[in-house]
Amino acid sequence: MRKLNADVVVVGGGSTGTGVVRDAAMRGYRAILVERADLAQGTSGRFHGLLHSGGRYVVADPLSAAECAAENAVISRIQPAAVERTGGLFIVGPGDDPDFGDVFLAGAKAAQVPAEEISPGAALRLEPRLDPKLRRAFQVLDGTVDGWQLVWSAAASARLWGGQILTYTEIVEIIRGSEGVRGVRAVDRKTGEAIEIECGFLINCAGPWAGRVATLAGVRPVEVVPGRGVMVAMAHRLVNRVVNRCAKPADGDILVPVHTVCVIGTTDVKVADPDNLAIPRAEVRQMLEAGEALIPGFQQARALHAWAGARPLVKDDRVDDSDTRHMSRGMAVIDHAARDGVAGLVTVGGGKLTTYRLMAQHAVDAMENQTGRRHPCRTADEICPGQTPGRNYLVSCRLQEREADRLDDQIICECELVSRRALLGLWDEFPQASLDDLRRQSRLGMGPCQGGFCSARAAGLACATGKADGAQATGLLRDFLANRWLGLAPVLYGDQVRQTALDYWIFQGALDVDHLPAAPNRPAEPPAAEDQGSPPTRRQASLACSAGPAVAGEGVSL
Amino acid sequence: MATALVIGAGLAGLAAAIRLAQAGWQTTLASKGLGGLPLSAGTVDVLGYAPALLGDPTGRVARPFETAAALAAHDPSHPYAAIGADRAEAAVGWLRDLLPELLTGDLKTNITLPTAVGALRPTCLVQPAMAAGDLAQNRSLAIVGPSQLKDFSPELCAANLARQTWQGRPLLATAYRIDLPARPDEADSPALAYARSLDQTAYQRRFAEAVKRRLKDEEAVGLPAVLGLRDRQAWLEVQESVGRPVFEIPLPPPSVPGLRLNDALTAAAQTAGVRLVLGSSVIGFAAAGRRLKSVTLRQAGRDQAWAADAFVYAPGGFESGALSLDAAGRLEERVFQLPLRGAGGSRLGGQETAADLGRLINADYWAEQRLFAAGVAVDQAMRPLDEGEAVFDNLHIAGGLLAGAVRWSEKSGEGIAVGSAAAAADAITGRR
Ligand SMILES: Cc1cc2nc3c(=O)[nH]c(=O)nc-3n(C[C@H](O)[C@H](O)[C@H](O)COP(=O)(O)OP(=O)(O)OC[C@H]3O[C@@H](n4cnc5c(N)ncnc54)[C@H](O)[C@@H]3O)c2cc1C
Ligand SMILES: Cc1cc2nc3c(=O)[nH]c(=O)nc-3n(C[C@H](O)[C@H](O)[C@H](O)COP(=O)(O)OP(=O)(O)OC[C@H]3O[C@@H](n4cnc5c(N)ncnc54)[C@H](O)[C@@H]3O)c2cc1C
Repeated sequence: MRKLNADVVVVGGGSTGTGVVRDAAMRGYRAILVERADLAQGTSGRFHGLLHSGGRYVVADPLSAAECAAENAVISRIQPAAVERTGGLFIVGPGDDPDFGDVFLAGAKAAQVPAEEISPGAALRLEPRLDPKLRRAFQVLDGTVDGWQLVWSAAASARLWGGQILTYTEIVEIIRGSEGVRGVRAVDRKTGEAIEIECGFLINCAGPWAGRVATLAGVRPVEVVPGRGVMVAMAHRLVNRVVNRCAKPADGDILVPVHTVCVIGTTDVKVADPDNLAIPRAEVRQMLEAGEALIPGFQQARALHAWAGARPLVKDDRVDDSDTRHMSRGMAVIDHAARDGVAGLVTVGGGKLTTYRLMAQHAVDAMENQTGRRHPCRTADEICPGQTPGRNYLVSCRLQEREADRLDDQIICECELVSRRALLGLWDEFPQASLDDLRRQSRLGMGPCQGGFCSARAAGLACATGKADGAQATGLLRDFLANRWLGLAPVLYGDQVRQTALDYWIFQGALDVDHLPAAPNRPAEPPAAEDQGSPPTRRQASLACSAGPAVAGEGVSL
Repeated sequence: MATALVIGAGLAGLAAAIRLAQAGWQTTLASKGLGGLPLSAGTVDVLGYAPALLGDPTGRVARPFETAAALAAHDPSHPYAAIGADRAEAAVGWLRDLLPELLTGDLKTNITLPTAVGALRPTCLVQPAMAAGDLAQNRSLAIVGPSQLKDFSPELCAANLARQTWQGRPLLATAYRIDLPARPDEADSPALAYARSLDQTAYQRRFAEAVKRRLKDEEAVGLPAVLGLRDRQAWLEVQESVGRPVFEIPLPPPSVPGLRLNDALTAAAQTAGVRLVLGSSVIGFAAAGRRLKSVTLRQAGRDQAWAADAFVYAPGGFESGALSLDAAGRLEERVFQLPLRGAGGSRLGGQETAADLGRLINADYWAEQRLFAAGVAVDQAMRPLDEGEAVFDNLHIAGGLLAGAVRWSEKSGEGIAVGSAAAAADAITGRR
């Protein structure tokens, strides 16, 4: 058993937890973050990718709107490489109420969310694929954000300030003394080793799992209602700005350009288990129909991949719990000393990725309220490490990099322009990585062919550079293909069926990967990637893949 | 002279057109593009695996046509049932004899070849450049590849081979690298660039020398399948310089052996007198009762009615876009809206419900994806059937469009394509 100690333990390595460990470390606390999978494998890697301008909330939730507007500017500044400043539009379509535009503008003004009306013609010049019958359009400062890049750069900052981060480590017990929380017990999920961390404070940032973690502390139940949302990535950027429907928020009314694709979302269905998120075909279809209302012909466009995430909404007694969209999206910070008489414990829930830094600030403030010590929050002042001030992400960044090295390097993934050197660099940094881990870092296999060409190359490279032996490399390849499929099967229609047939011809027809030893239909040795430290059980394997764009759980229904 | 129109330039379409022209029919082949051949391994697979039939868990097939006959008896909805295993055997033999420089095999037994990731793939006919990879002949292998070719990892191939046994004996395989770009100073040389360089004598020697320097005492040398595109003797030159048997290992597309087969068949079609009209899509048809009178060909934006006495429709399956499934779940054959059947003869087509699709698309990637067994059911003349009746008397189906098999799982694509092409052509010309 390993023993550690810290001033504060943070549970959950999503945006919230990473923000908290960074904030606490910057305030001088010895802080340890404990995450049961990899960073941003929960909701923060399975969201929609929108860095809110606040526009979406100006009518229903002006406070959230104002917070978003302020945080949008902060995040764009301190984590520029995670953010693309695309700008956004709110569109009153032919079937929408044009008067809502006035309500929208008034709300934006009151919440101090910059918004400006432009003519339909001007909107069509900016985004020619929009429905030409649109009635009104408003420009806002929406951006797009890569959740993984955001979380990793916050984590890098936390480490710089002395914060420790334990991934693939699950909290299984919260130790309480008469004074309150004294420590936690955790298990290293790769090695099985038990870990005990002595600490004076625990901040629960377990997102949709926060209710379960609170239960470990033995406090009165914290009700978290996971609201499942399905999103679909479409090949190419059908739009270059975030396009919102200017109406009362509903399902599938936002189209977000992220990297090389654009993402339509989302649905919102209350579910019982955040570990088991289905992607029903009916919901995919609903998204495509909603996309049609923004972009005529949307249903004929090519879908690449679908995934689902669970909104970590903390239940608010004022609304009916069947409607999770209208529950408080604002953040909830629960001080368990005040609520339950258990000192040393705070639970943070709700909120948005956009406002993660502010949530973290409130959470650490709540801790200091309990402990009586006070330090200023400095997370908005300092740029995260590895970032160039003012250099936001551009979709053309990769092209520029490849232009520079195209004569002396190989491109392993053509769809996403991942070079051999870039991939090997990541592999050196994360020697235990599965191809899915590398995918999240590099976008390997996330383009139109969904790994059809790059995954065998990557497995071959692992073997060629001694990162894996034959069995392990085969395991990496097989796991990657199976995991990509979870998000492909629900969107199998149109051109993606052709792509899938081609990919099957390659892997089964030409390479016969299905008959390499250790195939699932011939139970022999367990897949090699598992000894390599990628997740050891099937459920965990699906977890690993699920940081998306991908899907959660085994329960893919079609 | 009687006229035939063949639609599709894949293996099935080319084979049918050649056979029709050989029988004296005035034959036109119209296709919107190239078929799957340039993307395929360049071998002729007849039947590689039949786990449901053979009882043993791998289901590896040793005698392809014998097992195809058993499969046809076991599952009457399988394409080999309508084609007939003996007709398929005769057709594959005919193809081999048509291209004696490019295809070899005894038809009776499958040959087992290493794939680029080191799996042991059974196939019926291989190209001469691949033949020394037959594991029945050589077991101690050097696997060699250039560092500049990203689609081939000799390390992965050799490591996986070395984990397996063949007929009870372990395989020995060692990986070696050579440092030789296809063109000077290239870091990322595609397979086709190597093949074009290897069409040249000077480069053949340089390549062979580089390989030879690496070898120890292995019996045979596995190389990526890039040993010449135009020069059919290139592999022999390399083999001679290397001084021991060499064999090609097929790569992911675009595939050099696949292109060779495609080029050879296209040339054979021209020699036989087939008129090729590429870049033309069939978008509609005109019929009188059960007689198809003409199809509408769209070429460079112009539509034209093309009449013929008989038609062979060989448009491939989902991969070529001949079958489609749209966002709303509508599954259809695009040109004639022919009735569709799935695995085991199940009825398909029209609007599939979410539950139907749940059965057709398995959430487990490695399970059989029954969607890809969808296609058209036919009679022995390869005429499309609707409730047991031919839809048209003079329209015949060949290749990937036939219902009842997931070809990449069982490794049967080319056998079904050639067998059905011959059956269709023979039904038209009355040959037995
Ligand atoms: C469908 C959808 C779309 C969204 N779109 C947007 C958007 O476009 N823009 C935006 O700003 N916000 C969006 N959000 C909201 C945003 O994604 C979330 O608010 C945010 O990611 C929550 O982060 P978190 O860190 O609180 O939770 P999570 O990211 O879920 O992190 C919780 C972590 O806790 C870990 N954990 C759980 N139990 C334990 C344990 N016992 N021990 C150790 N670790 C544990 C989990 O593995 C997980 O990684 C969206 C949410 C959803 C569901
Ligand atoms: C990447 C890849 C690897 C493969 N590997 C193997 C393998 O290892 N083993 C195996 O058994 N098989 C393999 N195959 C399949 C095999 O080579 C054959 O392609 C397959 O069996 C189907 O042959 P086909 O002639 O019926 O169709 P295709 O080869 O798909 O040809 C269809 C033709 O019809 C044309 N067409 C379609 N619709 C129209 C229209 N409306 N009007 C005009 N023209 C039209 C297309 O342009 C094309 O020329 C592979 C295929 C691919 C793509």
